[in-house]
Amino acid sequence: MKRWLTALALSLLFNAGGHAAGFETRARTPAPALAAQELMGAPQTLAGYRGKVVLLNFWASWCPPCLREMPSLERLRVKMAGRPLEIVALDSAETAEDVNAYLSRMKLGFPILLDPDGSNTRRWKVFALPTSFLLDAEGRVRYVLTGPTEWDEGEALQVIESLLAELPTQAK
Amino acid sequence: MRLLGMLGLCAVAFGAHAALPDYQTFPAEGERLLLWVTSEQGRTEPEVQAAEKLARQGVEVWSLDLVNTYFLPQLPSSMDRVPLQDLTDWLRSAEASGKRVTVYAVARAAVPVLRAAAQLEPALRDRLCLLLMYPNLYTAAEPLAEPDYLDLGTLSGLRVKILQPRRSAATPWLPSMLEHLTQLGATVGQAMLENLRESYWARETPTEFEVAESQRMDAMLIKELNSGGCK
Repeated sequence: MKRWLTALALSLLFNAGGHAAGFETRARTPAPALAAQELMGAPQTLAGYRGKVVLLNFWASWCPPCLREMPSLERLRVKMAGRPLEIVALDSAETAEDVNAYLSRMKLGFPILLDPDGSNTRRWKVFALPTSFLLDAEGRVRYVLTGPTEWDEGEALQVIESLLAELPTQAK
Repeated sequence: MRLLGMLGLCAVAFGAHAALPDYQTFPAEGERLLLWVTSEQGRTEPEVQAAEKLARQGVEVWSLDLVNTYFLPQLPSSMDRVPLQDLTDWLRSAEASGKRVTVYAVARAAVPVLRAAAQLEPALRDRLCLLLMYPNLYTAAEPLAEPDYLDLGTLSGLRVKILQPRRSAATPWLPSMLEHLTQLGATVGQAMLENLRESYWARETPTEFEVAESQRMDAMLIKELNSGGCK
């Protein structure tokens, strides 16, 4: 029975489609290293975002559910402008050309990072796309979501606000 | 006495048939036999068309749709419930045809196929070659945790080639999958299918390239049948 349930969960995992699976809480897990490239080639790590809540989204331009949630990430960026939230979309195992082809059709205001060899995808143990991680200001993983969601409303907004609420008053 | 003999013959014939799953045959005169095990989504029309094209080119195809044959839900977990003995007997039956046998299994269907191959006698397993299209061999694969693989058995002597669509979340994990199969004793290889997604022949919104490639799956498979791993 346990194996059957696990396999069912796996089927949902690998076919992350139209419905958000719900946020999984993590007990302040230290985040794996992130060593990615910006579109122009500059290296980027998580250290650059320390002191902010980070929404790290693993996606790919060929993945329909990933593309469905992108507009809501952009709306979230606009809604949270001026607040200590960093939205980072890490493209999994594609070339800059693939990503730029998508960005020519969808203007996004948050940073897009590249992981052309998939090394970050493996380090973060991402097996389905999209997968998103919410990190607190100290760089610890607090929530994981496999599958898409509407980021600027509902449960997603609640968990982001809960992490922002942990920050000192002047930073929120 | 004659009646008893006939009854005995019937029993033998039924017994032999009962051990084999119900599959669709695309007969051909050539020396190659492709055992096509469709995914947990069941057999699709492009797969049928590809099998027909293969048969016209001399490759006999036995197409097995496990979810329909065993009345299973269209879920990956269904593949773990397939009677292994049936599948093992099916592989033996294919080997007994005298043709060169290659198995092509899609997605989670790789699990019962590998387990059945593990149950074969080593001499039979040595002759078999498996083409696995984006196999899903995990028990669990969760973010931030090491993947956990299903128990498949010993695969020593078995030749396995993974066909991996590039546009897949599984692509970065291909080296780990190959390493796992190697540890089980298989001789492994891989072919990256560029610009394609998993199940590209059955997508709701396929790209033009995916449509074209789904119409030439026969050519892709013949290329793999003639490549080093399965030649």
